[in-house]
Amino acid sequence: MVFYADFCLPFIAGAAVMFAAVVIKYTVWLVQLPAADKRLILKGLPTRRTLDAVVETVRESLLHRRIFRVNPVLGYMHMSLAFGWFLLIVTGWIETMAYVGLHWVPLQGHVFFKYFMPANGIADHKPWFDFVMDLLLLFVLSGVALAWFKRMRSRALGMRRTTRHIIFDRVALTSLWFVFPARLAAESITCALWGGGSFLTAGTGSLLSGVFGRAALEAAYQPVWWFYSCALGVFFAAMPFSRYMHIFTEVPLIFLRAYRVRPESAAKSYDNFEIQACSRCGICIDPCQLQSSLGIDEVQSVYFLRDRRYRMLQHKVADNCLMCGRCEQVCPVGINLNTLRLNARSSSRDRCDESRYAYLSGIDRSSGEGRTGYFAGCMTRLTPRTMESMARIFDAAGEQVWWADREGGVCCGRPLKLSGEVEAARRMVESNSELFRRHGITTLVTSCPICLREFRETYRLDGVEILHHSEYILRLIRAGRLHLRRDAGALYTYHDPCELGRGCGIYDEPRAVIESVGRLVEPAHTRENALCCGSSLANTVIDDPCQLTIARDVARELEATAAGSVVTACPQCKKALSRGTTCQVADLSEIVAASL
Amino acid sequence: MTDFGYTVSKPRRIDIDRNDMTLCDGILSSMPELQTCIGCGTCTAVCTAGNLTDFNFRRVHTLVRRGEYRGAYEAMNKCMLCGKCRLACPRGINTRAVVLLLKERLKGM
Repeated sequence: MVFYADFCLPFIAGAAVMFAAVVIKYTVWLVQLPAADKRLILKGLPTRRTLDAVVETVRESLLHRRIFRVNPVLGYMHMSLAFGWFLLIVTGWIETMAYVGLHWVPLQGHVFFKYFMPANGIADHKPWFDFVMDLLLLFVLSGVALAWFKRMRSRALGMRRTTRHIIFDRVALTSLWFVFPARLAAESITCALWGGGSFLTAGTGSLLSGVFGRAALEAAYQPVWWFYSCALGVFFAAMPFSRYMHIFTEVPLIFLRAYRVRPESAAKSYDNFEIQACSRCGICIDPCQLQSSLGIDEVQSVYFLRDRRYRMLQHKVADNCLMCGRCEQVCPVGINLNTLRLNARSSSRDRCDESRYAYLSGIDRSSGEGRTGYFAGCMTRLTPRTMESMARIFDAAGEQVWWADREGGVCCGRPLKLSGEVEAARRMVESNSELFRRHGITTLVTSCPICLREFRETYRLDGVEILHHSEYILRLIRAGRLHLRRDAGALYTYHDPCELGRGCGIYDEPRAVIESVGRLVEPAHTRENALCCGSSLANTVIDDPCQLTIARDVARELEATAAGSVVTACPQCKKALSRGTTCQVADLSEIVAASL
Repeated sequence: MTDFGYTVSKPRRIDIDRNDMTLCDGILSSMPELQTCIGCGTCTAVCTAGNLTDFNFRRVHTLVRRGEYRGAYEAMNKCMLCGKCRLACPRGINTRAVVLLLKERLKGM
């Protein structure tokens, strides 16, 4: 049996390009990995993590479980294309084996099996395979139909906006759309002429021969197989250079992630796995407040990753992001969008000579004595009521406090880091760490989530417990060191600061504190889905009116809860929200101090 | 002499006709909102770096706007980008972007 016909050429060429490109890319990226990452992979390979990664690959790359959570129909669409196609390939291989035994069959032999072995040419025909293959083809075709429908009405599939694609993606997308209808046509005509097939291909075949006649089908027989082969060939050739690179790339990404390889503040070759695992599904567009409040397109994570991948990233795209993390929360591939954005910024901006920030050495404006240190942070010094409230709380609890920066101090470094000046930020980290060590504190309390996140993620403060003031206050209450009057009539709503919630995972403590002084009502978007106040330090592009527009949109949602006052736990959010509403906005510490 | 708590500034003349305004014009066209600056100095009053050094954002900006670029890059490098100035600015100028822009355009001046 010879498994070759001229029409296979486009497919063979396309598949060769695809496999060559994919192998070259992965090899280069893996070779370029830092030695530490390579060690992580080698160490992780023989452990349970490999098994977990296999399970996750099935769950995410094939079944697309996380997209089901966004919208069931959207999930079905992705699953039918990925899992359906996978099953078609696997069943196709089994079918080939069932007919020709354990002989080597070239790739095109499996793919165009119906052409090479039509039913009437086989001694013992196995209709069971025809039925299963038809069923699977129908499964995939239903996904293709949904994809067409989504182009026209994305809202029906739970997406307000979908990605605007570049020309390369459109070529790949169009050829992909043709692959399965072409397969249906080719197999149906073959079944009409040579028998075989099941409800779908045989049914369509007899319908076609009824309408056009056998002569017309004979004339169309070769062209339709050529067309199917061409559609496959174009798709495969375009795949490594288009968004469809994600089909393969998500698999090594899942494994690398299982071995604890992570993107860092400096770009490295691992980032390529994350970047090219993006399918440009566009699920990240709807949660972006720059889109929903300001109508800004072309900066969302999907576009950022695209631009970075094709090396056409501009400052105005990389810098125009609140880094609120709402997109990261919904990304079905779990790409570390914020870190990738951060290290894209740093590779274009990170310069810091030795003499810069020389003035930081030895700065100490701290006051007081105590094992507990309080670091207000720059922003808190602009919201003095928070600091006064903290002073009253410390007093009431009888805590001896060392005030790190009451009379001025050095920034935590996070704002510089978010702007891409990672090396410069390290100087602040060193300066502050030195200060904390010198005063021998064991607990460090801060009321600024921006500082908190930097302390927890970057600072190496061994022996010092780092607490947000919400955690600290709750601890005082639970230890019976604070006695608060609870006013059951006082209704509060709470705004989750991005850096505190999604950034540090602190959701329950501020809520528990609020419950101990009054009643809490939740806004529409809350906890992991909370909105950003719009004044995030991570964005250096949007202007003041834009920040205000976002703040008003967020405030409107908070006002809709009919709460008497809005409580937040971040000085930056407090400032931003106060501008957006006429409602009272208070820091958590203020309502606690008022109930003492 | 009696100490009144202030000093008299040294005489200093800026000749705008002689200064090359190209860089300043470029900065302004990239960031038109700078034209709304009223020079109130709130940015400098709240400045974290200004509290620790002689860094004076208002002064640097005022000089740059008159074509005096010398030392502006080095001065801007003292900024910690903490963003208090942006929160305090009565005209809502995106001061952090100004810092980044000045550093980008005035390096080596």
